[in-house]
Amino acid sequence: MSAGQAVNAGFKNVSVYLEGEPAWSKAGNPLHAGYGFICRGNNVIVDLRSIEKAAASRIPRSVSMPFDTLEDVMDEIPMKAPVVIFGDNEEQSLAALKLFKEEGYKKVSLVEGGYYGWKRLGGALIKGPVVTEVTWKRVLAPGEVTVADFKMAIEDPSKAVILDVRTNDEISVGKLETSKHIPLDQLCSRMDEFFATIKGVTKEQVIYIHCTTGARAEMAYKELKKNGYINTKFLMAEVSCEQNDCDIDE
Amino acid sequence: MKKTITKLVPFLVVTAFFLSGYAQAIGKTTSAVEPTAAIKEKATESVYKGRVVGKSNKAKTISIQVGKGAKAQTIMVKFDENTKGTEYATKGHGVIISYEQQGKDLYARSIKPKLSKMPKGVTGIKTAKLKAMIDSGKDFVLVDSRPSTRYGQGHLPGAISIPVCEMQELIGLLPTRHPEFPIVFYCGGPT
Repeated sequence: MSAGQAVNAGFKNVSVYLEGEPAWSKAGNPLHAGYGFICRGNNVIVDLRSIEKAAASRIPRSVSMPFDTLEDVMDEIPMKAPVVIFGDNEEQSLAALKLFKEEGYKKVSLVEGGYYGWKRLGGALIKGPVVTEVTWKRVLAPGEVTVADFKMAIEDPSKAVILDVRTNDEISVGKLETSKHIPLDQLCSRMDEFFATIKGVTKEQVIYIHCTTGARAEMAYKELKKNGYINTKFLMAEVSCEQNDCDIDE
Repeated sequence: MKKTITKLVPFLVVTAFFLSGYAQAIGKTTSAVEPTAAIKEKATESVYKGRVVGKSNKAKTISIQVGKGAKAQTIMVKFDENTKGTEYATKGHGVIISYEQQGKDLYARSIKPKLSKMPKGVTGIKTAKLKAMIDSGKDFVLVDSRPSTRYGQGHLPGAISIPVCEMQELIGLLPTRHPEFPIVFYCGGPT
């Protein structure tokens, strides 16, 4: 552990904040975004200042959401998106942070010192007509299949074997017509036996796993990969089925 | 895709570092062998220590990541109403799971939280005190030990980034000529 190394290096006044960043945020305290993350992170950068100020000079990629209108427009930002906010000053950013937190956004950070803090740092600035549309797309995690690819496999079963790992109760309400089903809790004990029942399946088979949210699918993905099914992917999306009809919502 | 993986590597390495070497299951074999018992299945009870990477109440399974570096692997254990301490199995938290093998399945018998141990000569600090130190503008070094990508996404005001794996190389960033200078470390909470 780092603190131990610091003690070994001779430091006499070393403390550890064990609860760490999660406790800090939970108590309503702000986090500051790093320079590189502001420049090119997979995030939504929100400019809280007036449209006039934003048009004159702003942080590249930022979306204009003046503080007065924030409550009405913030729902255009996907809930899962990391949000970086900056305003005329830290107070404005902190007030906006509170609104975002109340709305349920979990990954919100501030540009230290707001617009002027960024400028003082020598950060890049652009001008011109403001952007109000949020175009953020989540970057896929390793092993994740895109919703588009998943839907394509529903249409064309030759693309992949779709594996449904929900419970028997959930299946009884509905499932994809072409999917194979094994509840997650039986996957470990019956994996090879189960795959042997699907004609022509090898360890190279492309397999897309889904459940209702993606949580179980991810767990199943790790198990399959560990067991040598190298072309397995999982779907991180809301899936709700009724008979043979499933809605897939990102 | 490749980029994502490279970004993830430090995270995995750090995680593995924290879990330092818990891949080994502490073999506590309870083989109740009675001379007269004809066929009695050998029940082995062992322990896994690692970080919870997934939990499903519907499927009643918990996935934990154990081991470090290239040896890191994810293990799935089942639980039921007899399993003690399932409330401690929260995604991202460190746990110690006593399990037993039943056929090909692993069953968790009890789950305990894994608490970080404070190294010798180090004191703890709570949110309120740290906040007061930051707000007062007091001179001290605040070190974020998480991977640099996590630091980028959001760090405590004024913190510098020294990921735990790079501590050896970057220790020079600390005021080594002033050993009395206060230094506070933090990371992603109890893992």
